[in-house]
Amino acid sequence: MPKIKIIEDDLSIASELQELLNNAGYQANITKEFSNVLEQIKKELPDLILLDINLPRINGEILLQNIRREYNIPIIMVTSKNSEVDEVLSMSYGADDYITKPYNPTILLLRIAAVLKRSERPKDKLIYHDFEVIPQKGILKKENEEIILTKNEMIIFLYLLQNKGKIVTRDELMTDLWNNDEYINDNALTVNISRLRTKLDKLGYKEIVETRKGQGYILHE
Amino acid sequence: MNKKEYLKDKWLNIIILLAFYFVILLILLAFKVHIQAIIAISIIYILGILTTTIMDYIRKKTFYQDLEKKLENLDQKYLIVEMLQEPNFLEGKLLMDALYEIDKSMIEKINEYKTQTQDFKEYVELWIHEVKLPISSLTLMIHNNKGEQNKKLLEQISRLDNYLEQILYYVRSEDAEKDYLITKVNLSKVISNVALKNKDTLLENGIDLIVSDVNIEVLTDSKWLEFMINQIINNSIKYSKKEKAYIKIIAKEESDRVDLAIYDNGIGISKEDLPRVFEKTYTGKNGRLGKKSTGMGLYIVDKLCKKLGHKVSIKSEEEQFTCVKLSFLKDDYYRVIEKETK
Repeated sequence: MPKIKIIEDDLSIASELQELLNNAGYQANITKEFSNVLEQIKKELPDLILLDINLPRINGEILLQNIRREYNIPIIMVTSKNSEVDEVLSMSYGADDYITKPYNPTILLLRIAAVLKRSERPKDKLIYHDFEVIPQKGILKKENEEIILTKNEMIIFLYLLQNKGKIVTRDELMTDLWNNDEYINDNALTVNISRLRTKLDKLGYKEIVETRKGQGYILHE
Repeated sequence: MNKKEYLKDKWLNIIILLAFYFVILLILLAFKVHIQAIIAISIIYILGILTTTIMDYIRKKTFYQDLEKKLENLDQKYLIVEMLQEPNFLEGKLLMDALYEIDKSMIEKINEYKTQTQDFKEYVELWIHEVKLPISSLTLMIHNNKGEQNKKLLEQISRLDNYLEQILYYVRSEDAEKDYLITKVNLSKVISNVALKNKDTLLENGIDLIVSDVNIEVLTDSKWLEFMINQIINNSIKYSKKEKAYIKIIAKEESDRVDLAIYDNGIGISKEDLPRVFEKTYTGKNGRLGKKSTGMGLYIVDKLCKKLGHKVSIKSEEEQFTCVKLSFLKDDYYRVIEKETK
């Protein structure tokens, strides 16, 4: 379970953020004392840091530089300063991403997942049961059998796969699709999911994508 | 100042001097002074008057004509004191001193207001950042506590956020100082951010978003551009029709510029209103239709465009469509900046 350190002085945001991250399967830690953040990082060694710029007694940008000097931990700046200059500065100091408040929580989770994925050693193969997923080619491959997925179907399938065993809401799927520049509407999402099901059926996986009424979908392990 | 004006101004002096001349003449005649002596005295007297008048005229003429000419040519009239040469006669000196004092006190007053406005702007910016914190908190709370009212709550929060952005960019657009940063920006990324921001509202209202050919880089400030596109799309959403509504975003690269067109099939803008949509607080007929409108959105967009050197234009037909076009010039000036920032 990836550890995420939240460096944020607004207590209400910090605790809500912690709940959001814990629900999403991360182990989130709140920072209460800002004078010795570097030592805390040394002790906790988180997998990712969410860092606010406006902090008591310390400037977030300087903290960012200090962390960068010693650690290679991915850092996402989360701030209400939304000027280009601030973003360019943060990125040049070594931040991995820059998100402005208020943000859409689903998008924050997507960005966290993306940054974590980048810092991970690349996995050679994405495998679900006995078939291989090749996102670049849009192919599901089982021995000699190949099934081609459209871009939308692949985005949906990958999201379900990353969250397999968990309920995925339509809104999450929609956000992920829009985040990938596929601005589809509700009907199109329904059509895409049913096509994906048909294709998975062909590979011999009947009803592995279950509909939970009023909640969303779930890909069984 | 010309001779006629000068003489008109001096007529009293001249009459008094002439009167004195006649008195002198009478006295000389009464004492039976020799006629040649009278002529000599008269000539000397008149010559004296003429020389002093002409000398005075020339001194004043150089100064006042200079003043009039420079005042006419000056764009910022209050700078006149800096442009004039110190005159060599008393009235001129008094005038210069007075002008100098007036200028000084005016500049002090202006600086006072400038500082006040600047302080106020800084406070507004700070305040906006502060308000964004509870808004972030609320968004997270709503997400963490799933309930039936969620969509409605999020919609109101997004309205709040939008109004905040409007005032933030209004303050920024009024600011004389440059607080933007021009970089190479991919249009598709900015559009994607705006689309995600408006996703719920678009889906809720059944408005299709069609985006094509936007994988083009332009030189702009991405945050400012995001705000501008968001304002335009918000208008498209606000003034959409109920049935088969869509918003189409298309970019096109020309030799000297990139055009980004945002087209919607909404209720459009009437002919009378169209030329005035970029005016401050102008709401027009659509604003009066009961749709909430501040008349600030397009005004700020226009101002930001001017600052960034982009062009914005609008076409519309009532009940048919509205199309807002942003043009990004591939200017040499930008290329210089680009080189420097590399």
